[in-house]
Amino acid sequence: MPPIIEISGLRKTYSRAFRQPHNALDGLDLEVAAGQVHGFLGPNGSGKTTTLRALLGLIRVDGGTMRIFGEEVPRRLPEVVGRIGAVVESPQFFKHFSGRLTLQLLAESAGVSKARVEEVLEQVGLRDAAKASVKGYSLGMRQRLAVAQALLKQPQLLILDEPANGLDPAGIHHMRELLQWLAHSQGVTVVVSSHLLSEVQQLCDSMTIVSRGRRIVDGKVADIIAGHGDSSLTVRFPDVASLPEAAEALAAASGSPGAAAVSAAVDRDRLVVRGAPEAAWVTRTLADAGIYLSELRMETKNLESVFLELTGTAPVPGQTVQIGESVVVPQGPPVAVSDGVVSIEVESEGAER
Amino acid sequence: MNLFKAELRRLARRRLSMVFGIIAAAGLLVLAGVFWFTSSKGPTAAELADAQAEADRMNEENYEYDECVEDEAYFDTEEYGYLEDEPYYADMTHEELCADWFGVWTAEDLIYTYTFDFAEESPLILIGAAVITGLIMMMLGSSAIGAEWSSGGLANLLLWHPNRMKVWGAKLGAASAVCAGAVIAVLLLAFGLLYVTAAARGEVGTLNAAWWDENLPKLARAGLLSVAMTVLGASLAMLGRHTAISGGIIAGYLIVGDMLVRFAGMAMQMPFSERLSLYTWVTAWIDGKIELQDWSDMYSEYPDVMVITSSEAGLLLGGIVLAFAALATWAFQRRDVS
Repeated sequence: MPPIIEISGLRKTYSRAFRQPHNALDGLDLEVAAGQVHGFLGPNGSGKTTTLRALLGLIRVDGGTMRIFGEEVPRRLPEVVGRIGAVVESPQFFKHFSGRLTLQLLAESAGVSKARVEEVLEQVGLRDAAKASVKGYSLGMRQRLAVAQALLKQPQLLILDEPANGLDPAGIHHMRELLQWLAHSQGVTVVVSSHLLSEVQQLCDSMTIVSRGRRIVDGKVADIIAGHGDSSLTVRFPDVASLPEAAEALAAASGSPGAAAVSAAVDRDRLVVRGAPEAAWVTRTLADAGIYLSELRMETKNLESVFLELTGTAPVPGQTVQIGESVVVPQGPPVAVSDGVVSIEVESEGAER
Repeated sequence: MNLFKAELRRLARRRLSMVFGIIAAAGLLVLAGVFWFTSSKGPTAAELADAQAEADRMNEENYEYDECVEDEAYFDTEEYGYLEDEPYYADMTHEELCADWFGVWTAEDLIYTYTFDFAEESPLILIGAAVITGLIMMMLGSSAIGAEWSSGGLANLLLWHPNRMKVWGAKLGAASAVCAGAVIAVLLLAFGLLYVTAAARGEVGTLNAAWWDENLPKLARAGLLSVAMTVLGASLAMLGRHTAISGGIIAGYLIVGDMLVRFAGMAMQMPFSERLSLYTWVTAWIDGKIELQDWSDMYSEYPDVMVITSSEAGLLLGGIVLAFAALATWAFQRRDVS
């Protein structure tokens, strides 16, 4: 099945008076397969919203091609827009209109029935607040109204920019269930741009991570984490003085069959072991050396650590990460993750900090 | 068509539309009320009798007048000899001559009565009402566009209707239609209120074919001007993407800009410098024509005259509005929506 969204080599440059032009999008590629919840991640200023705006015809681009449902956009956008529901950035509405009137006006403009308005109000949990003016809505309620607006058309493609913004935990849970239901039961393709990485990890089937207007990696969420997550073991001892001795013991055992490239590094009061075939190998090796441990824990990477590492935005003690201080992705063939194998080559400017 | 209807509804449901609507209706009621309470069909017989008595009392104290009336040969002196040759005094009786010279109070002098004459006074009021409606609609039109930009509503709408020309056309069409509807409603309401007031408290006058022939085109042109003002306001808001920019440009020009242009014309001793003022062209458009006079040739008994017709004014004003509308269309089509 062809991808629902295909973006190739997208470029957008903002010229600025007396300053260097800013490349918001620098040859970005993106593909979203049908019927999935796809996460679109990147640090602030990496070009996520610019991409969504370009895709939806709100801004012009300087190069590249975009297709939705196989149709070239923005040229053919009017032909496919009826199948797309979207919310880009913080939704704003006329303060004095009620939630229902806000939706009714949009529905009327596109020939959508009034009954559908009531359906989506129910779906997003705003039925009882539909009569109230939007000015009295909380941020979360406005977010729900925005999603309701995107759902009005019964879209086949739903594009949401930070849909969990302002939602309380119950709201986030409700939104997650709704989006997953839409994708997995109704066949709607959902693209979600979000900063809530744990949310993306729970919600999305696949994702694309971008930095400085280019794609760093894409693929299934589980594959990206697994492929990039070289898990490690944290070992602690009753006596901190045992740490160097334990490190030496493990290094000496490295190279034995099944433990070809084990590394052990002392990190304050613990030993971090990488490349061990299994936890039992560590306990056995240390016991053979007469060293007994007090704690052994498997450290599995989550999406946040993968994201921070890939984008080069991991915090450094005593320093703050400035906007734009993320990795520069070299020009070249797109990087893809498939079947649990990840291949990422980046040169990290952030690492120089 | 759906989009146009939705835009009409959006405009009608805005709080500002309701506020302006209430203010306009209240303003017309107040105006009619002022005429109702100040106009009358004339003094009553009792009022006239009282006034006449008071006038007689005051005249009795006017000794010069009494002396003149009693002396038939009062003006037969060398001092007043020239009166015989003045045509103004030719047909006056002696008593009238005395009254003219020394003043005499009449009952009418002591009773102030104003009679509202609908046929004579209403055209100017109706034209004024149409132009004020245009100003209000200009604010409403620019506010509708400006508020949508600043609230992000326009970007939202474009996610539903990516054809920007269709969106702009619907918005402009809806604003113009609402303006036309508002002008017609205001004119009908004003006409009705003033007519009833005149019928009850003043004089309706003659509303014959000649009256309609003279005033209907003026009212139609005032209505067109209002629609043009709405288009201008919406176009400026589209260009500036903010209500305040549109309002600022219009108010700035009408208050300061027009005055500066006039001063510049006078400083350059430009003949017919009034033609630099937009107000001159607006007057020409509504009245059908305007005659400007130039008296700079001090040796000439008659001034140079320049006539601006409504067609010429229409071309200029229409050209200005179309230029801004075209610029706004181009900008909306080309610029990013962020």
